[in-house]
Amino acid sequence: MAEVVKSVEPGSEEDILTRIENKSEKIESLIKQFKPVEALKIALEDSPPQDERCKSANWTVVHKALMAIKDIEGMLISLDPKYYDILMKYVYRGLSTGDPATCDRCLKIHEKLTEKAGFGCILRSLADTLNTV
Amino acid sequence: MANPLKLYLTCVRNTLEAAMCLQNFPCQEVERHNKPEVELKTSPELLLNPVLICRNEAEKCLIETSINSLRISLKVKQADELENILAKKFLRFLSMRAEAFQVLRRKPVQGYDISFLITNYHCEEMQKQKLIDFIVQFMEDIDKEISELKMSVSTRGRLVATEFLKQFL
Repeated sequence: MAEVVKSVEPGSEEDILTRIENKSEKIESLIKQFKPVEALKIALEDSPPQDERCKSANWTVVHKALMAIKDIEGMLISLDPKYYDILMKYVYRGLSTGDPATCDRCLKIHEKLTEKAGFGCILRSLADTLNTV
Repeated sequence: MANPLKLYLTCVRNTLEAAMCLQNFPCQEVERHNKPEVELKTSPELLLNPVLICRNEAEKCLIETSINSLRISLKVKQADELENILAKKFLRFLSMRAEAFQVLRRKPVQGYDISFLITNYHCEEMQKQKLIDFIVQFMEDIDKEISELKMSVSTRGRLVATEFLKQFL
């Protein structure tokens, strides 16, 4: 799969959007190879972008990875603790969509993630008004 | 299915457990006033991110927190017109008697069926765990209540119709 990386000034919106597109292609290929956990790790890597469009694009990518995961326990065990907070923010974004399949998956992840990360994780996702997802 | 309901209630319970961190905070604009900041929304630094937990398109729960107050708005499942009317009447009945409930809001937030407002004073007088238990129990029981009401309405309707149509036999 040829990945076309456009060269624009760093930090600009187009740059972030193209990075997200590249991530999306990588993630789709990983999902086809039945490696959804790696896909999720790549999706969560960059900190949440500031711009609205980039946030939506990033959310679509994370959503794809989340829906592909079957074994939630295993996923949380292999995920680095530093990603728990950002995963919780994406879980809440998923819960606000209202789509039954997404909400079902996000509710399961929320329960297991709270058991692992504790209430502090929830509170950090509520209190962080600067880096919203 | 009972399982998704349980997951939904667990999620709401965990979020409330984390979000119910209220302390007394006098009003910054007017001296000697103490207002629930979540209702007024005048200062953004006193508000946390609102969280919307949906079970499906019909049922959702909005939790908004601030430094001294927490507002929970619920939208209950309404499958058909009859449930719509029953839910509206029943929840209006409860909201009118909000004084007795203390944590209930007289008018639900726009777009929802019923709202609770919990302030730091409630947390001082009552136990946090019991407040959360009350809200989650309420969410569980409201569905049962409305199904019971619907069933009794259908039963009464059937009895009345049978009696009425007997005269034509």
